[in-house]
Amino acid sequence: MRSYYTTLLLLLLFISWPAWAQRQVVQGYVRAASNGEALIGATVSSPESGAGTITNENGYYTLSLPEGEHTLQATYIGYTTGTRTVRVATTGQSINFILDLASNELQVVEIQASSLEQKLNDTRMSVETLSSTEAKLLPALFGEVDLVKTLQLKPGIQSGGEGTSGLYVRGGGPDQNLVLLDDAMIYNPSHLFGFFSVFNPDAVRSVELYKGGFPAQFGGRLSSVVDVKMNRGNNERISSSGGLGLISSRLTVEGPILKDKLNFSVSGRRTYVDIFTRQINRLKEGDDDFSPIPDYYFYDLNANLNYTLDEKNDLSFSGYFGRDFFGFDDSGFSFGFDWGNTMGTLRWRHKLNDNLFATTSLTSTGYKYNINNEIDIFSFKLTSEVQDYTFKTDFDWFVGNGHSLKFGAQATRHGFTVGRLNFESADSTQNFGAGNTYSGSEFGLYASDDFVLSPMLSFNYGLRLSGFNSSGKTYAALEPRASVKYTLNEHTSLKASYASMMQYVHLLTNSGASLPTDIWYPSGQGVRPQRSQQAALGVSHLFGKGRFLLTNEVYYKWMQHQIDFRDGANLFVNDSLENEFLFGKGESYGNELYLEKVSGKTTGWLGYTLSWTYRKFDEINNGRRFPARHDRRHDISLVLMHQLNKRLSLTGAFVYGSGSPYSVPIARFAFQDVEGKDPSIVPIYEDRNSYRLAAYHRLDLGAVLKLKPRRGEADLTFSVYNVYNRRNPYFVYFEQQKDRSNQQIVGFQAKQVSLFPVIPSVTYNFKF
Amino acid sequence: MMRNCVLYLLLPLLALLSSCDLEKDIDVSLPAYAPQLVVECYLEPGKQMRATVLESSGYFEEPNPPVVPDAIVYITSPSGKRVQLKYKPVMVKSTGRFYTHTSSEVMTGKPGDIYQMEVVDGRGRKVTGFTKIHSKVNIEEVEWRFNDKDEALLITTFQDAPHTPNYYRYMTHIDSLSGGSDRDFVTSDDLTDGKRVSLGSSYKYAEGDTLIVTLYHIEKQYYDFLASVSDAKNANGNPFAQPSQIKSSLEGGIGIFTNLAFDRKTVVIRK
Repeated sequence: MRSYYTTLLLLLLFISWPAWAQRQVVQGYVRAASNGEALIGATVSSPESGAGTITNENGYYTLSLPEGEHTLQATYIGYTTGTRTVRVATTGQSINFILDLASNELQVVEIQASSLEQKLNDTRMSVETLSSTEAKLLPALFGEVDLVKTLQLKPGIQSGGEGTSGLYVRGGGPDQNLVLLDDAMIYNPSHLFGFFSVFNPDAVRSVELYKGGFPAQFGGRLSSVVDVKMNRGNNERISSSGGLGLISSRLTVEGPILKDKLNFSVSGRRTYVDIFTRQINRLKEGDDDFSPIPDYYFYDLNANLNYTLDEKNDLSFSGYFGRDFFGFDDSGFSFGFDWGNTMGTLRWRHKLNDNLFATTSLTSTGYKYNINNEIDIFSFKLTSEVQDYTFKTDFDWFVGNGHSLKFGAQATRHGFTVGRLNFESADSTQNFGAGNTYSGSEFGLYASDDFVLSPMLSFNYGLRLSGFNSSGKTYAALEPRASVKYTLNEHTSLKASYASMMQYVHLLTNSGASLPTDIWYPSGQGVRPQRSQQAALGVSHLFGKGRFLLTNEVYYKWMQHQIDFRDGANLFVNDSLENEFLFGKGESYGNELYLEKVSGKTTGWLGYTLSWTYRKFDEINNGRRFPARHDRRHDISLVLMHQLNKRLSLTGAFVYGSGSPYSVPIARFAFQDVEGKDPSIVPIYEDRNSYRLAAYHRLDLGAVLKLKPRRGEADLTFSVYNVYNRRNPYFVYFEQQKDRSNQQIVGFQAKQVSLFPVIPSVTYNFKF
Repeated sequence: MMRNCVLYLLLPLLALLSSCDLEKDIDVSLPAYAPQLVVECYLEPGKQMRATVLESSGYFEEPNPPVVPDAIVYITSPSGKRVQLKYKPVMVKSTGRFYTHTSSEVMTGKPGDIYQMEVVDGRGRKVTGFTKIHSKVNIEEVEWRFNDKDEALLITTFQDAPHTPNYYRYMTHIDSLSGGSDRDFVTSDDLTDGKRVSLGSSYKYAEGDTLIVTLYHIEKQYYDFLASVSDAKNANGNPFAQPSQIKSSLEGGIGIFTNLAFDRKTVVIRK
């Protein structure tokens, strides 16, 4: 049987070989005209041959082309397309591109057209890319554009529930995503219990999400890599942009400090519901029947500084600071709860020679929450925090002969403050506390080779050695990664990948939702690292004169040392947290079908995922496997964007998902309790997630109307979320039905609660 | 013109939003459920031994809990005396408690004594459990403080015994013990071992309120049971809560067999 497959593979190789035999390699840089900045991830392609590639961290590319005349195109989101006609005769020809900024957002989306050829020919698989520009066109809840929620519309990526920004990728949990903002990890990438992500769309340039086939440079999380890149500053002139929305406003200012040397970009966003609730509280002051509304707001600050030292060196700084605040203050009682991320990265890019580049960075990132409660003479404080310091260095080496090596090292020092509690009274009669601090050291060494064996066959293979030390316990693991692409013909390619991933820090949550009080906890004595392995097979087919790309991927992922918690586990203030852990297995498998069109007046995509996701713990369900909360058999998303004319574009998104598993009580008993208590009904839960909620579906519509201001640009973005007012299930509960005359229980009724009805919104955006 | 268009577009949508009902009745089909014995028995020094034996039911079955007439309850004292509680349903009006099995035997145990319980029924079901008699922990002080809105908070103070794990149930009632509790929670001395502990409230009481404060010194098994009951109730209707199994103190059924050791004080809030 094995020899049959070998013969088939060789046959395929040789059938296709002659068409590719006379090929040469061209190489070069793609840079921005405005500041000479290397454009990372720009597409360079030859439409005639269907060949394409993307630039690396230094804006460098290599492309294998048949001998002869070619029209080479370089495209990048937000920039006009660069076109060069070249005659390819020898290997090593250098073709550089300088791209101008695009003037029209709608035009920008079209620029992605050639990215389909690149995706077809890319060795990588299971990668989704999204630009901020694209996300801004789509309708959004409360008009708040959210790149992470837009990613949920891609196949294989699901939301945890109505309106939430958590990502569940191929059966993984939201804590198993490596969320990077300019290479720095963001521990809690959401605001307001997960309803909004921390990524201000004005500050973000693009997002790339890896669902599988992870390159060796990424490590530390099991299920996905969400690589978010911030906008670089404008090197030509001071400019500003922003927006006024239903619940928040945004402002970005950017520009040069030293012409062609130093530029900056600063973005801010803040919600303002609290301004209205404070007014209501003031108006209702003195009304005994009115309970004051607590304050709630969140804000984000993003900053970016880029300094070009010379042709071979540049320095950059990226920073993020975001906080949510919930508070209440009234006559002797005050309550404050704040949480958020803080991140700063200093990066040095150095060109050692034409073929060797180094990027070295120092990063500090952390997440913390504080709860402060004061009543009379008593005060209560609870804090948890994770703080990382990371040193990382990466090398890109274009060896030649089809080899591009990537290698590097990373070391992180983690600090964890877990459930630090302090309770005291002003008269010193009360004073007690709890909490632990832990530290951990994590490292990673990796090397990978992007190897073009032939124009048809290319590989990306690598190995990552990772390790972790905490509480006197050391873990280490080898994480092999590999992907292969075989081009059947100019329109069809086959791909396969395998990746092994380790996760050494764990999110402690038993809520089934993203809560700010969730705690990060290190591996150590008794808490082993999580591990996953994933294999995927895919086929991509380009058709309709290169305007449509159809991709189908099938995957299987198996996970070890998955974490859950004992019933009634106390995760808040507990000095023996490891006693609450349960360890088990997980598996997820499925098929993802993805049809996309990115050029023409109408663009968009259709995704369909058929998948299964299970968990198995000895202590849950008597050891039987059960579906995870995010197990969704069928998941469909249809996204369309249509440019009606130069001023108006219309957008729509439809999503459908099979009902999510949910735990409902199957029985009950009457509990009388002691004297002084009313009898009550106590639900009895048995199998975990054994009930399925009703299917989820929703249609959102939007429109972007370009205005003609005297200065700069402006638009109005209209969104209608849940157009046909579908009452999607958020949760289900069982209610007692009582006879009003005597309060006797006469029966029980299941109730379904929905969260968001139809919600229209309008946002005003400007740029000058 | 554009402004009018936007207004006309938004008005019907806003009207629709305000008229939305986000909760609705649904039908849920549950798997078959085999009823279990549910037993509650609280021993109290100087009080008759009484127990309630019922059955659990499928969630959408008849609301009244089924009684089990053929069940027999035995309680064995530390001396080995085995007392049978006979099926004789009774409602005690003064306390509002309903018992299915009673005995005239009075509990005379002292702190440290262990009592055992056994329940059997005609279907061959058997439930067993035991309880270790606890000593009460005295309430040292009940005080209150007013804020500038003439609302008072309540502080109850007691001394925790050092070097032993202790568990407490704290309850307050307004005016009388009937009509349900004002506050009710369980706590442990994990963080307050051997310390003077104050349990507070929010500013919620008015001058003239009569408050009954009760501090139960409870067994760990009772603490676990009450906590799991609270978690299970909370999971039905809280989308963030994880479903929780009931941690009974009994083998072979659901419920609790424990003893009640408590101190109770009544105060009237005065300025």
